[in-house]
Order: sequence, then C-alpha cells, then structure tokens
Amino acid sequence: MNITSYDHKDLIYALATPWGSSALAIIRISGEGCITLLATAFSRPEALLSARTNRIVHGVLSDPASGKAVDEVVLAVYRAGHGYTGEESVEISCHGSIPGIEALLELLKNLGMRPAEPGEFTFRAFMHGRMDLTQAEAVQEIVSSRSRTAQSLALHRLGGALFTELQRIKSLVLDVLSVVEVQLDYAEDEIGGDVTFPLETVVSAKSQMDALLATYEVGRLYGQGARIVLAGSTNAGKSTLFNLLLKEERSIVSEVHGTTRDFIEAQTVIGGIPIRIYDTAGLRDSMDSIEAEGMRRTEQLLEQSDLILLLLDGTEPHDNADMLGSRIGKLVHDPRCIIVWNKTDLSVGKAPHGSFPLSAKRGKGFEELQAEILARLRKGSARPMDDQVVIENSRQRDALVRASEALAACMRLAQAAVPLDIVAIELNEALEAMGSLTGEVTSADVLEHIFSGFCVGK
Amino acid sequence: MDYDAIVIGGGHAGIEAALALSRMGWRTLMITQSLDAIGRLSCNPAVGGLSKGNLVREVDALGGEMAHLIDKSMIQFRILNRRRGPAVQAPRAQADKFTYHRLAKQTLEGQKGLALFQDTVNDILLEPDGRTICGVTTERGHQISARVVVMTTGTFMEGRIFIGEYMCSSGRLGEPAAVGLGTALREKGFMVGRLKTGTPARVRKSSLDFDAMVEQPGDEIMMPFSFDYDLVDRPAMNCHITWTNEETHRIIRANIHRSPLYGGKIVGKGPRYCPSIEDKVVRFPDRDKHQIFVEPEGVGTEEMYLNGISSSLPEDVQVAYIHSIRGLEKAEIMRPAYAVEYDYLDPTQLYPSLETKRVDGLFIAGQTNGTSGYEEAACQGLMAGINAAQKLKGEPMLVLSRTEAYTGVLIDDLVTKGTKEPYRMFTSRAEYRLNLRHDTADQRLTPKGYAVGLQRAEAMDKLRVKMERIGAVKELLASRRIEGKTCAELIRQPEITIDDLLPQVPELLAFAETERYQAELDVKYEGYIRRQDRQVDRFVRMEQIPISVDFNYDAVDGISTEAREKLKLVRPLSVGQAGRISGVRNSDLAILMVVMKRGGMRSKGCAACDGSDGSDESGEYDGQE
Repeated sequence: MNITSYDHKDLIYALATPWGSSALAIIRISGEGCITLLATAFSRPEALLSARTNRIVHGVLSDPASGKAVDEVVLAVYRAGHGYTGEESVEISCHGSIPGIEALLELLKNLGMRPAEPGEFTFRAFMHGRMDLTQAEAVQEIVSSRSRTAQSLALHRLGGALFTELQRIKSLVLDVLSVVEVQLDYAEDEIGGDVTFPLETVVSAKSQMDALLATYEVGRLYGQGARIVLAGSTNAGKSTLFNLLLKEERSIVSEVHGTTRDFIEAQTVIGGIPIRIYDTAGLRDSMDSIEAEGMRRTEQLLEQSDLILLLLDGTEPHDNADMLGSRIGKLVHDPRCIIVWNKTDLSVGKAPHGSFPLSAKRGKGFEELQAEILARLRKGSARPMDDQVVIENSRQRDALVRASEALAACMRLAQAAVPLDIVAIELNEALEAMGSLTGEVTSADVLEHIFSGFCVGK
Repeated sequence: MDYDAIVIGGGHAGIEAALALSRMGWRTLMITQSLDAIGRLSCNPAVGGLSKGNLVREVDALGGEMAHLIDKSMIQFRILNRRRGPAVQAPRAQADKFTYHRLAKQTLEGQKGLALFQDTVNDILLEPDGRTICGVTTERGHQISARVVVMTTGTFMEGRIFIGEYMCSSGRLGEPAAVGLGTALREKGFMVGRLKTGTPARVRKSSLDFDAMVEQPGDEIMMPFSFDYDLVDRPAMNCHITWTNEETHRIIRANIHRSPLYGGKIVGKGPRYCPSIEDKVVRFPDRDKHQIFVEPEGVGTEEMYLNGISSSLPEDVQVAYIHSIRGLEKAEIMRPAYAVEYDYLDPTQLYPSLETKRVDGLFIAGQTNGTSGYEEAACQGLMAGINAAQKLKGEPMLVLSRTEAYTGVLIDDLVTKGTKEPYRMFTSRAEYRLNLRHDTADQRLTPKGYAVGLQRAEAMDKLRVKMERIGAVKELLASRRIEGKTCAELIRQPEITIDDLLPQVPELLAFAETERYQAELDVKYEGYIRRQDRQVDRFVRMEQIPISVDFNYDAVDGISTEAREKLKLVRPLSVGQAGRISGVRNSDLAILMVVMKRGGMRSKGCAACDGSDGSDESGEYDGQE
C-alpha cells in the first residue's frame, strides 16, 4: 500500500513556489499523459495538445464538470525527454493568491492527479536520466536524511495530537473490520453464527473523522485568513463601514498596484482571524458606468471572497428595489452574503427580515454585525484551543475525505445488505487512506485484532 | 545419477511434488518413513474450508491431485459462507480417511516414472562446492543421488509428542520421528526453529449419545473440487455438534498446571487461530461454552474426531473433561489428544520458487516451511515439484503473484515475511480476493499449468468452452431487456439474482448453474472488480522492477540498518517484494531504485541520457498567445 507512493507512472502535482500570497505562482505537473489530461480542463485544448516541447500556451483552466473558470494561466509545455523531470510535464503559471492556488490544486486532484511526495520530482528527474551522478548522490542524500531523522515518513509529518486522534479513529475502523473479517476468515459454524455488523461504530468513526475534517476550515481560517468584500450602491455607506471595521485594530490600507482603482484593499484582524477587506469600486460606482474589465475583476473578487457584506441604504427604498433586480441583486441569495440595512439613524422604515440594522455613522448595531461576521466565518466552530487538533494541509484533508467517503459507502452497503466481502473493500479503503497519514496498516494487524478479540477456530 | 529427483516425505506436499515431477517427465523417487502413512489426514478428517478450499481448486487448476483425492473420498460436502459474499465462499468436505490414503497411494503407484521406497532420510548430500545438492543418505545407510531434492518432512523432523507429563520422540502418535535430518541441516547453516501444533482425542462412535447433540448435515448436492468433471455422487454422513460447559472449564482450570504448554516444556509456538481447549479457557474466561464438532473419521470405522478440543493435558484430565460434555458422558477414548513439536525451516531462506538460497537444487515445501494444514502443504508441494522440474529442464521458475492465486499470497508471505507461528491461509491475507474466487481458479491457473507441461490439453479445452458459455450468458444479460432495463442493470441491484430472471429469460436455463452464477458475479460486482483491477495494475508495476539476487546492499548508503539486514536476509526479487518486508520503508525503496538505476546507467554509459538535453537551453517560445 505504501510503496505505490513512489510509483513513477502516477500523474503528480505540486506547488513549486512558496506557499503564500504573491503576484504569480507556479504549479508543476508531471507524468506520461498529463498534457492530455490537463487539456480536458483547458480553454484551448488543441493549442495545448499540439504544442511542441518548450512552448508556452496561454488560456483558462476551468472545472470540466461545472465549466466554471478557475484561473487564467500560462502553461509551459515539456514533452518526454525535456524539462526538469525528463518526463512529459507542464509548469502552470497562475495568479499567486492562496485561494486561487488552492482552487487550482483542487482542480488537478479532481482530474485524477495526486500530490507529489517530498523529493518525488527530483526522484523522477533522476529516474529519467536528467541528472548526473553527483546530482543523484544529492537525491540519495535528501531521501536518506529523511529516513535517518524520522522513524517513519508518515509519522514525521504529523503533530503528536493529530497522530493520536487518527490512531483512535483508525482503531475504531479496525474494530469494525475485524468483525467483518472474522466472518470472512471463519465459517458460520466456526464462530457460532453471524456477528452483528457494528454500524454504530462506523457512524461514530465517521462522525469523528468528519469533525476532524471540519477543523480544516478553521485551521485554514486562522492560518491563512479570510476575505470580506463590501458591496452596495454609492451612498449606502460602505466607506463608513470600511473605516469602522478598520478602526478597531491596527490596519493597513493600500491601493492595488498595476490596475485602475478598481478596489481598495485593507488588512485587519477580527477576533483573531486575519482578514482582508475589499471595498469594491466596481460596485461602489453606478452600475451603468462600469467598464467590462472592472466588472470582471469585481466578479472575480466576489467569487473568491469568504464573506460578502451587502449594504442597503435604509433611506432609499427605491434604490433598494432596483438593486434587487440588478446583477448585484443575485448576491442576496448567496449563502456568503450578510445583508446590512444601514443608516438606521435616518431611516423611518423597518429593516427587512434577515438583515442587520446598522448605523455605521454612530456605530449602533456594529457589535452585533461583528459577532455575525465571526460566527459566519467560523461556521459554528469555536476558535481552536492551543491543544485542539486541526487539519492544516490539503494532503491530510484529501486522505481524510477519501476515508470518510469510504465509510459512508460502507454504511450504505451494510444497510443495503450487500455481502460482507464487498463491505470489507470500503473499510480497507478507509484504513488505507488513514494509513497513508499514520503509517501502514497491514493484513497482519487485522489478524492480530481478530485473534485477540474473538474466540475462533474449530 | 540414480534419479532425476528425490522427494522426501509422502504427505500432502510430497504427493503433489512427486506427481508433478514424474508427470513432467522426470525419473522421481519418493522416500517415505511408512508406505502405510501416505496421504494420511493426521488431524481433521476434512479438506477445504475458507481460502483453503480455494487452494485445493488452485492445485487442481494447475494439474495437481488433491481435488481428485477428496472428490473420490468425501462423505459430506458444504459450501461455506454462502451469505457472506462471493469472494469468500469456499467448499469444504469431510473425508473418509482410509479411502483418501488408499487413493493417494494407488495414484502414486500407478504413476509412470515414479518409484516409492520406505526409509528415513537423515542427511542431504552436497557437491564438493558445498552449495549444490546431489542426493540424500538414509537411516539404513543408502546413498541415493539425484539432481534435485524436494523436502517435505511435515511434523516429523525431530518431532516430539506431549500428553501431560508424557513425552516421546514421534511425528504422529505411534510413529517414530525423523531424527538426524534437522541437526544435519542446522550444521549446514540453515536456520531451524520449533513450532507446535495439536490434535484432539478420537472417541468410539457406539459410546456416544447422538440424541443429546445437534445434527449437522451437509449440503444436499455435492460439488467437485476438481474442474475436470461436473458431478460427485457419493453417500453422505452427518456431523454432530455439542458444547463444553462450566464443569468442563472448571476441570481444565484445576489442572492447567499439568499442561506441558503452561509448564514451559513446549518451546515451539502454537497456532493462535486453532487454539487448544486449555488456551480457549484461559484466554476467554467469559465464555461459558465452546463448540465441539463430532466428525466421523470415515466409513467402516468407529473413530470419531472431536473438533474444537485439541489438548496436551494428561489423559486422566482428558477423560474427566470429555465426560463432562453433553453426549460424551460415556465416551470411550480410543486415541488421546496430544501436542506435537517439530523443527521447521525459516522460510525466508527460500526464493519464491521454494528453492533454498543456500543449497542449489534443494526445494522445501509444506509444514517444514512453518505452515499448517493439508491444503497449504499441497499447494507448496505442487509449486516445489513444478519448479524442481523447471530447474531440471533449465526453464524459468513458475512464481504465482499475490494477485492471481492464494497460493501466490501464501508463498510470498512465507518467503518475504517468514512466520513465527504455524501459518494458516486466511482470506484476509489476500489483498485482491475478489479476483481469487474458487470458481475462477481454472481461468487464473490452468493456462500456466499447461504452459509448464503439467496440465493436460483436455483441461484447456474444457476451460475454453466454459469461458465461451459464460461469455454467452453475459451477452444475454446485456442485450435482453425487462421493462426497459437490461438484465445486466437489473442484477446489479443487490436484491436481484440471476435466478430471479429465469421466468422472463428462459434461455438462461440452457446454461449450468455454475456458469450462470459466475456470469452473475462478474456482472454484479463489475465496479468493484474494475476498482480492484486498477489496484492490481499498480501492484504489478512494482513487482516488475527486478532486483538481482546478488545485489550488494552493503554498498548502498542511506538505507536504514534494519532495512539492510532484512534485505540481505530475504534477497527480494523485485522492488514490490522488497516493499513488503517489514522494516523496509518507502525511503529505502527510493534509494534502492536510484542505486539500481545508477548501476544500469554505468553499464550502458551515460551518452544516451545526456543527448536529449540539447534543446532545453535553446528555449524556443512562440510567445504568449
């Protein structure tokens, strides 16, 4: 199970530039067939497929399922025998925002590629004869230093608390699997009939796994921060709210370079969460006068935001009615949107149902709004304690998602009275996924569990 | 040379090895301690069971004998685990022990090119180089030469029997051990260890009260283990079930100190999966009863086998606890239960062909390799026999993969991981068991048996017809529609079986039940089978990266000390096998692959890999479009 991670026929991907915000980022993919696969998500598949080696192709990568654009990219194409690894590969130059990079990595994964192991690109480069002997020694050095310092690669990557948590869940799954396997290893009469399938244990393991998975959002939130976009018409009072949000803590306001003044960006911290706030010029100005380019950027911004504050002018009921019919009106139905009914100090009308009444000018209602912002960002999860286990990286998350999906399938199959040997496949899948994080689970482990838990044998 | 090949031992491994060698055209001698003990079922009077039934059918598919023997001697047949899933059901049969033995001996005697000789081998003979086999010596002073030797000594090598305080040198109760061979092998540098196993008491049928027990009949229809024919028609007998009780457990607990197992006299490790009754009582104190199967040893004998209460307690204790059991109150004990401890060779000393790394031409199979069970022994005996024959022919060894046979799983486990307790086959040991169903053994293995010259052409013809007919069923399922859905779509639903469709698709009746069933499974679990096939692909790729037998692990920097020691011991033949050795990590594999590749580059010269670099620097770009 473990050894397949160095299987050099897999298509692999990895971010080649540092994990953080910058103007540009490069994601590398490698492996025979990666160009054909990438073309299925590329706006100009023919250009990519026909590109000779060392050429670059410009276009848009989109999710093939939804057709939704993920990023505008430049692809550097390397055919077999060229490039860093010496096998067919592509370097994707994309925009360097963290949500953008994450979206692209997600796309590659959904296409069927897997994240590269540490040192794997270099390993492949050597395997394809792209390095001389001294360089090869260096590869060996890299890999061997890992084996010297870490008892297990997998262990090394995990914090102690997360490891313990995973082991606990794994042992639950092992319990379930041993109940299944004992019935597959021994005949009905050898163990005195059927053992009841421990569905509750599966449910419990899955809910613990899902709870762990939910911390991924929290971990990401506190680690990488969130984006909030202010939207609304010119006189709704966005600037006042913008300043109010920034007034609370140390903030930096900057203009975005290299563009027309589309939006203003500022960084602040709310309730411990690093936040970027965008005051969108595109939406601040009247709709008609917006250039297509500005509109596109704004939409992109909205797309990437974690939260949208839509300000309605409490004194302008007509304006509001118009807006609901406009493109911005769609935002009302966006689950990320908080509707703010501003200027309660001047307005006589009642705030519409579901909106937050606020007087940005006097600060009335601001505390409630702030609380709502935090609640929405945390999605119900509390701020992590220092000792709370949190999933931090997407590789861990991917493995847990795979395990969780397998357990869901296992529950479904068990309830549909599908034979146990098929149910066992899903349980093994779940164990294997967790094993990729905590170290291998072998069939000997399962037998060990059976022998210690059941009185078996004729 | 007196013979081309010598097989030591006439048990289930020896029978297959001897038949395979002689059927493949080599002059073979089987040396056994007793011609009257050939093919003896020393313990349970039964063949098959979960995953073991699969082994028997694999032996048959390759051209072995075990399936024929049990088909002609069975007195009860059952398919186990029918409800638990297609991949794990398996046939099991009660055997008439005497018929089984008689048929085995008769088959060996009728085999052209095979000689049988009663004597005890006490040493192997080596060429002056000390690394190549050239024959054996026997207790009565014979020196017999041969180019290959297959050793299948079972529990006889330095065997010792324990019944409470009683101890004697024996392989089976009443049969002398093979003394000297184990010591001789130790002296030649082999790693020899001790294992333990046990067998329950045999009681007299007429002394039992069957009315106090639960009857256990077999399936109504007997089905053959062999793929060579479609019917078995034999008279069936019943087994019976009874249980131990609190009183039984009290007697055992009160006398546990008299067991040689707990007194420390037995050093060999016993099987956890088949514990003695005293083990069960000690390890599971909460259980108020344990099941006992009362099984007939055969037709025309009063001996009954008490399956579930093997023991090494003293005979007076055995009498007491057996008499505490319902239905056995007046049981007359004919043979006591006993434990046997014996020498085994650490199987990591073998290549996957079952040839020893230390001595060229010496093959080892069966319980000697640390396994337990007739079926486990038979499949090894067959593979050792085939490979010894391949060796004589100068042709490549036949090694079955984990992905194609339980036999492959078993041998790979043994030679890669070794074993510390008697190794029994389990379905859970196989990663790809959906592909290892008992009813597909012929598809998987018959062509391989034919290719090495063991399996007959008729078996290939039969297989071809079977595959055509199954294909026809599948075609019918894919094309025929019922209420808008194809039959294939319908049977993918868990609750619908192919037999439910018979009224609407009567053409299906033209096919045998086994053909319909196999087509149904293939269609029903297609998604899972395909998923498994993808895993198999990945697995096979790692298996296909070879490591040479004389690879110098000491010259590799960076691999861990533990990995280095294990690799030097096991000497894996592929990167895949290396990865299954406990203690060998991913990083070790990566380094190995780098070093092997570097070795390859040196021999070829580096010109090839430097040449392709040229165009990189020139950097043609067609500009951003």
